[in-house]
Amino acid sequence: MATQVVDHSALKVNQTGIVATVLVAFVGSLLFQPLLVLIPLLAIVLLLGTFAPQLALFKQIYFQVLKPRGIVKPRPVQDRPEPHNFAQGMGGVVLAIASVFLIPVPVIGLALALLVAVLAFVNAAFGYCLGCQIFYQLERRGVLKPS
Amino acid sequence: MSAQLWALAVVSAVVLAAAGLETFRARRAGRLAAGATAAASTDPYILYFTGDSCTVCKTHQEPALARLGAVRIDKVDAIAERSLADRFHVYTLPTTVVMAANGQALHVNYGYAPAPKLERQLAEARGTALTATA
Repeated sequence: MATQVVDHSALKVNQTGIVATVLVAFVGSLLFQPLLVLIPLLAIVLLLGTFAPQLALFKQIYFQVLKPRGIVKPRPVQDRPEPHNFAQGMGGVVLAIASVFLIPVPVIGLALALLVAVLAFVNAAFGYCLGCQIFYQLERRGVLKPS
Repeated sequence: MSAQLWALAVVSAVVLAAAGLETFRARRAGRLAAGATAAASTDPYILYFTGDSCTVCKTHQEPALARLGAVRIDKVDAIAERSLADRFHVYTLPTTVVMAANGQALHVNYGYAPAPKLERQLAEARGTALTATA
């Protein structure tokens, strides 16, 4: 189980981006319903970022803009990137399911999207990562092999 | 408008249910783990269950443990030492167990345990040891 250095500021920017996007879609859709399109777009961004980190929009904003300009300071921590990627992928999958429900059953679609935002907020604010806990349980049960 | 309000109500209910379930789960696991034993020592010590996938361990729990000063801390990889983790019903990381000198679990903390809480539990464990030897 090799640990690497993970910049936790990149993770925080990612979580903040998720919360902000869902909130804009949620609150904004009260006035302008087409803003709900942000939810499927966010699902695509998260899923792309899970499989191709160079396409992770919020992390790239951090690495290309916020970090070089000193707006957000780096916070390197000896850590494994896999649980964080797993958590991001889980968020992407839930948002994809939310997107499917947005038109036929908007309550379910909005609730699922809001749940992802709540979990991202809890992670950013308190460091509790539900996806990482699920990753631990899957490793413990041998579903995922420790790398 | 109503869809947003209903969604907010659903999420609030889910969050409250999850918090309640987590409290119940932690209490149940704590009850099951109470009295479980590990190696005896001359002083109370802490069993610290962690893993490579645990971020809170690195960012919160380890700095809190470092603040405790001269206390023996046995770091246990919960994946590699599964039987020991199962003995203390470790279902989440980090988990810290305050062990009495006789090797019996006194307090089990599932999730992040701040330094003052651990200090309190260690003081209680030392008190228990003093009572036992008096």
